[in-house]
Amino acid sequence: MSVEIRLPTALRAFADKQEKISVDAKNVGEALDKLFAKHDRLKAQLLSPDGKLRSFVNVYVNEDDARDKQGLATPVKDGDTVLIVPAIAGGVTLAAEAELSREELRRYDRHVILPEVGLAGQKRLKSASVLCIGAGGLGSPLALYLAAAGIGRIGIVDFDVVDESNLQRQIMHDTPSVGTSKLESAKKRLLALNPHVKVELHETRLSSANALELFKRYDVVADGTDNFPTRYLVNDACVLTGKPNAYGSIFRFEGQLSVFGAKDGPCYRCLYPEPPPPGLVPSCAEGGVLGVLPGVIGTMQAIETIKLILGIGKPLVGRLMLYDALEQSWRTLKVKKNPACPVCGTNPTIKAPIDYEAFCGLKEKPVTANPEISVEELKSKLDKKETFVLLDVREPHEYEAAKIDGSKLIPLGELPNRLGELDKKAKYVVHCRSGGRSGKAVTLLREKGFDAVNVAGGILAWADRIDTSLEVS
Amino acid sequence: MTLKTTRGLETLVAKACESAYPEEGCGLLLGAVPDGFDRMGRELSVDEVRALPNGWDASTKTNRYLIDPRLLAKVESELSGTGRGVIGFYHSHPNHPAWPSPFDLMMAWPCLSYWIVRVDGGKTADSRSWQRTEDGRSFVEEPIVLEG
Repeated sequence: MSVEIRLPTALRAFADKQEKISVDAKNVGEALDKLFAKHDRLKAQLLSPDGKLRSFVNVYVNEDDARDKQGLATPVKDGDTVLIVPAIAGGVTLAAEAELSREELRRYDRHVILPEVGLAGQKRLKSASVLCIGAGGLGSPLALYLAAAGIGRIGIVDFDVVDESNLQRQIMHDTPSVGTSKLESAKKRLLALNPHVKVELHETRLSSANALELFKRYDVVADGTDNFPTRYLVNDACVLTGKPNAYGSIFRFEGQLSVFGAKDGPCYRCLYPEPPPPGLVPSCAEGGVLGVLPGVIGTMQAIETIKLILGIGKPLVGRLMLYDALEQSWRTLKVKKNPACPVCGTNPTIKAPIDYEAFCGLKEKPVTANPEISVEELKSKLDKKETFVLLDVREPHEYEAAKIDGSKLIPLGELPNRLGELDKKAKYVVHCRSGGRSGKAVTLLREKGFDAVNVAGGILAWADRIDTSLEVS
Repeated sequence: MTLKTTRGLETLVAKACESAYPEEGCGLLLGAVPDGFDRMGRELSVDEVRALPNGWDASTKTNRYLIDPRLLAKVESELSGTGRGVIGFYHSHPNHPAWPSPFDLMMAWPCLSYWIVRVDGGKTADSRSWQRTEDGRSFVEEPIVLEG
């Protein structure tokens, strides 16, 4: 197998000024041995006395770093190029390579004996820093496992206090810590678990004003937020500062997982260019969540974070994993980088954090009251056989229990994805139980250009004043 | 042993290091590869400088620089066969002397010139160039000679 070895300028003087040298070899190690046989002064420059490649030497086979393949055992084939590239680094102080004490070596033994981690990997974990956004459901297993794994510096952003209703899932906190700061509670727990890590507390609301400065100080960001404005802020700030985001989110019985903002990978905006209309997706506080679910997703975030730091395995870049606890199933979807993405695309328009509350529609808008009709007006429209679609946006079980004849069911949560089923020319009269959800549906429909009105009082008013035989609970 | 360059290029290096402050700035020195490149005391002529992003982790950029090997490989292949090459690197030491640190020595390559700029509070305060000995045990300073 004839391969061509290319030398950087700095090394050519040791090889009779040659830039390219052809050798026959089966793998990278053999190619280098043959090179050294011809030019022995190169050996001292590239190998340490114990015969290993020096840390500042990079070897590429064609486009790939041999370290990402099988190192010196990486096979080469006819026509391959083996590129020797200096890792150029330096700086004011001596490499403060993390040293592991005897206690730490004992503690991390099960890591160190993994060839994929080893002593070097464990030191890398110690030198690494991770910023956890949120000390809640996802942040609990995430920070606990990161601390246990020996991540040197763990930052946590949160400003909440521990509430009794948190303890069903936020296992970093405990009963005695109810009413105290989540951050203090987290620090106490993490340092009790592993006193060898540093825990940095950022008791603040993450905002467009502070996100970039904060993110710059960490290697990886792990997003465990529960709201859309912060999620978009974390995404944009990760892209702008070049930090990978080990992302997780949960709702009821389902979870999502991905790594966004990695080099050449998609970001959250590539997947979801716009947030859902406000109020459409309930928070955990409104919609509930199975307590174990964040344990599953937050733990997976910790795995992705550690993989990113160690550079092992296949990071979850360009893939979105969906977990369904009821089905007990995982699905993986591909996520492509969107070249037109406003933050990570080829011509980004977002170059600094924006106003995310406004972006997510959470700032007060000029009041545009939805047109409403009463149940009596609805009755008369039905009696006159006027042409319109009566849309019921309640849940299927409510619909089964009691409905107005002739109505079409599309639960509010499904509406944004099912707009395609609706005819833009038709008129829509929308109801729910009492008028709240249908109000949101009407707002959405009108924004999308549909002619829609709300039924004031919903099916409750209908059962009360029009069809008293209906029993609505 | 000398590092020759122009006032214009020296200004570019200083500006790049100042704008990177308080982080370390870094970049490539390009020029003709001389005969006897590996000799202590060889003379280099820098005819182009290129600033590069500091690839080090965020928290350490204030006392470290790292050049992406892929970027470097790109420049090397661009200059392949032209007689020119990457003949050195510059980097800054924010608020520290323009002398190579032990870490600089540990990571240094032979032949090349290492041009170090001291930046104090955002202003260039000193500028010195160094060549590593072949045994890798020390650096020898070389004068920076400005022409034109």
